[in-house]
Amino acid sequence: MKVTLKVFRFNAETDYLPHYDTIEMSIDPRDVVLDVLNRIKWEHDGSFTYRRSCRHGICGSCAVKVNGRSTLACKERMVDMIELFGNELTIEPVSKKRVIKDMVVDKADFWKKYETVKPWLEAKIDEHPTMENIIPPEEAEKLEESDYCIQCGCCYYACPVVEVNEEYLGPAAFEKAYRFTADVRDYAKKERLEIVDILGQGVWDCVKCYECAQACPKHIDPIGKITKLHNQIFEEGVAKSNVATRHAVGFKKSIEKHGILDEGHLVAYSEGIGVLKHVPEALEMFKKGKIVMPWNMPKSKNLDEIKKLVKISSTVKF
Amino acid sequence: MQVPIYTYDVVIVGSGLAGCAAARELKKAGKNVIVLTKLHPLRSHSGAAQGGVNAALSDDDDVELHMFDTVKGSDYLADQDAVELMCSKAPETIRWIEHMGAAFSRRKDGRIAQRPFGGQSKPRACFAKDRTGLTLLQTIYEQAHREGVEFWDEWYVADILYKDGKAYGVVAFNLRNQEPAIFNAKAVMFATGGYARAFKINSNAHANTGDGLSIFARHGLPLEDMEFVQFHPSGLAGTGILISEAARGEGGRLYNKNGERFMEKYAPEKMELAPRDVVARAIMNEIREGRGVGPDGMAVYLDLTHLGEEKIMERLPELRDLAITFLGQDMVKEPIMITVTAHYSMGGIPVTIDGHVKKSPTETTEGLYAAGECACVSVHGANRLGANSLLEALFFGRHVGQTIVNDLDRGISCEKAHPEEAQNMLDEIKFIMTNNGTETTSKLRQELQDTMFENCGVFRTEESLLKQREILKGLKERFKNIRIDDKSKTFNTDLQEAIELGHMLDYATFIVEGAIARKESRGAHYREDYPERDDKNFLKHTYAYMDREGNINLEYGEVVLGKFEPQERKY
Ligand SMILES: Cc1cc2nc3c(=O)[nH]c(=O)nc-3n(C[C@H](O)[C@H](O)[C@H](O)COP(=O)(O)OP(=O)(O)OC[C@H]3O[C@@H](n4cnc5c(N)ncnc54)[C@H](O)[C@@H]3O)c2cc1C
Ligand code: SF4
Ligand code: SF4
Ligand code: FES
Repeated sequence: MKVTLKVFRFNAETDYLPHYDTIEMSIDPRDVVLDVLNRIKWEHDGSFTYRRSCRHGICGSCAVKVNGRSTLACKERMVDMIELFGNELTIEPVSKKRVIKDMVVDKADFWKKYETVKPWLEAKIDEHPTMENIIPPEEAEKLEESDYCIQCGCCYYACPVVEVNEEYLGPAAFEKAYRFTADVRDYAKKERLEIVDILGQGVWDCVKCYECAQACPKHIDPIGKITKLHNQIFEEGVAKSNVATRHAVGFKKSIEKHGILDEGHLVAYSEGIGVLKHVPEALEMFKKGKIVMPWNMPKSKNLDEIKKLVKISSTVKF
Repeated sequence: MQVPIYTYDVVIVGSGLAGCAAARELKKAGKNVIVLTKLHPLRSHSGAAQGGVNAALSDDDDVELHMFDTVKGSDYLADQDAVELMCSKAPETIRWIEHMGAAFSRRKDGRIAQRPFGGQSKPRACFAKDRTGLTLLQTIYEQAHREGVEFWDEWYVADILYKDGKAYGVVAFNLRNQEPAIFNAKAVMFATGGYARAFKINSNAHANTGDGLSIFARHGLPLEDMEFVQFHPSGLAGTGILISEAARGEGGRLYNKNGERFMEKYAPEKMELAPRDVVARAIMNEIREGRGVGPDGMAVYLDLTHLGEEKIMERLPELRDLAITFLGQDMVKEPIMITVTAHYSMGGIPVTIDGHVKKSPTETTEGLYAAGECACVSVHGANRLGANSLLEALFFGRHVGQTIVNDLDRGISCEKAHPEEAQNMLDEIKFIMTNNGTETTSKLRQELQDTMFENCGVFRTEESLLKQREILKGLKERFKNIRIDDKSKTFNTDLQEAIELGHMLDYATFIVEGAIARKESRGAHYREDYPERDDKNFLKHTYAYMDREGNINLEYGEVVLGKFEPQERKY
């Protein structure tokens, strides 16, 4: 099987603008994208640069984009890529504006946001325990798969809000926050919820486009965790009457009216005239197909979660 | 060139389980510690471990049994004092990491669940589905981070400062821009992990190139028991990517081309749950005698279909995913094809039970420590049992951290470093950056990996090993004629791979020389020309030293025996 690869090249040290190399090669049916990256480096040009370590989808190093779709190079089969996109494939870094060299991006902002949610168990640690904490399997399962996030950043770099709002913590950090708010051993639930409740950086700024869920190679469903954080914010009484919580109440109204969620109306409901400041964001997202016109409203994939949220928010009175 | 010198109490190289555990201990005790790593800490190979971590936790298990299984599994080469220390501290260690947040799978009653592993008398491996390493690495990193440990990621350590038996720092460069620096410290700890990358089919990360070992060896320090390289019985056919022993622990069965469950012949009692060396040889034997499966007959079947989808998804979801990705085979529906894969290295930097690096079988260095897979405290002897090495990395990482705290409190003097001492590293970089030869890293590495697997793999003979000795000589000669494409300073992985290849060539020589000299079969080291274990001549540890010309000299040291008398191993 032959493919034509267009490979993004940029070296911050020497290049003013990026360019693309075109490389033809034949593919073995067993190849994953990482095999192809390796072959480019080992057979074509040793200066081609990318990160990788474990080579089986567990360390989070090797995230790249293939035809615009973020993926772990070591877990994505070439045959699947060819089936999806045909024989011409473009390989790019997960974020062009953060590129240091070729596929290597500067993740400083990503780690800074990770830092914000206190990414560790807050508990007093017994240094010489004679017994483990007793945690029934049902309780342990509440973490769902959130402790298997490998911090690859695929979701983060795919999120349209991250692109337009520098403050926004993004799906990976929320996912991490949930990892601990769902853990019975953690002392800092409220504190974490307060952090993700802050407008501008927190969970209320998510526009529910599902990009993160689609991008996540570990099927962790960050948006599902965001919805759970919404719930916890109400359950723990952290919620304040502000544009965001009114937004949640707006959910209820929207669903009562349409049976589904209408983003445009929702924003208008919660912000009144303040909605104007979202116009550039909305336009940007509309261009990328991230929001739709009212007559094209799809059904929410997480209807159950939303219904639950509606129920909880119904009990708060603003 | 101006080389900055940073001063710390302790510099740790490597941020897997061992490095992070030690760093947390030091920081908690108020020491000024820095961790350098060529990856981001969360990318360390510890995170890739799948199956489990051992501790005699349950009511019907006990520490002494864990010790016995470990010593027997090691083919009696393990040092029994180290085994005793590790096994007796295992329950506390597991509970400690659980208290810090590790998300173990649970029994119905809320306690930590355990599963059986090869060579263990009881279900003893604690696990988090099949992503045990990930939960452990995240937890220990998170807690070290919480304490405020300073981590510098994507820094490549290329040399140590070591004179007259005393270490006082490391020399490193920033991968981002090739900026060099010296880290001057009272104590230096290495936790650089495994090195099975020298073999063609292996389960290891690209990063597992054994840098730490060669850095030591180039200063005339010995490496211990390097001939013992573990071949895991279940790597995916073709790639060698690991299918954890958990698959056999949960009930996986092995079949050959004729549909025979061949382990009946090799280990009638333990069957698929015999130790790795036994199962690996059984598989290779089936393949060699023409009963392999797959297009080239180089694999056997691992059948898990009888477990059912629910159990597979509950216990082994990651493994199922791997087989689908890399083989296109769904273990829920069909048996998958596996083969042996180079996996773990029992040998390494010789250390005392408290982590002090040895400069001979009986003498230690000052200010120099090691733990984890790069070290040889010899709890695994000639063959490691599954789920014992996460335990080793976590327990000894912490323990060595405590040793360093004590040593610092007693007072270690600190030699002052000088900028010129970075010269070794700068020369190495300059040589590779400017050498205008005709050889490429990838070609030399490929030849190294192919031939090591062929001549120094599961089965070895005098003839194959002598052949490999010559091949390595040739490769080292050709390495002098290397040329890289990338001449820039920014994130130059071309340079990095070449430096790593240099390390691989060096430690591979130790593996081969140790294997030539050990004229017996023990654990993972199997000599077809000497198929018996020979306690009279070889119940001893190999210590190997490299001289300036690259020749290896051997010496032997005592095995620490104890409660368990060496006896023939039967399963
Ligand atoms: C696929 C797989 C599955 C496994 N499953 C299990 C299991 O189920 N149970 C079990 O007990 N064991 C298992 N093991 C073995 C176990 O995972 C390892 O032995 C253990 O994690 C090693 O930990 P470590 O801390 O010594 O090193 P690592 O976690 O490998 O860390 C090494 C560190 O050193 C750094 N480093 C290396 N060289 C340099 C340099 N030159 N400069 C700077 N930094 C450097 C790296 O960046 C990294 O941070 C498995 C191993 C593999 C390969
Ligand atoms: S659903 Fe929310 S967090 Fe996820 S990508 Fe969209 S805006 Fe970002
Ligand atoms: S949630 Fe998924 S995509 Fe996002 S960082 Fe974690 S593993 Fe990667
Ligand atoms: S190399 Fe580790 S996730 Fe791809």
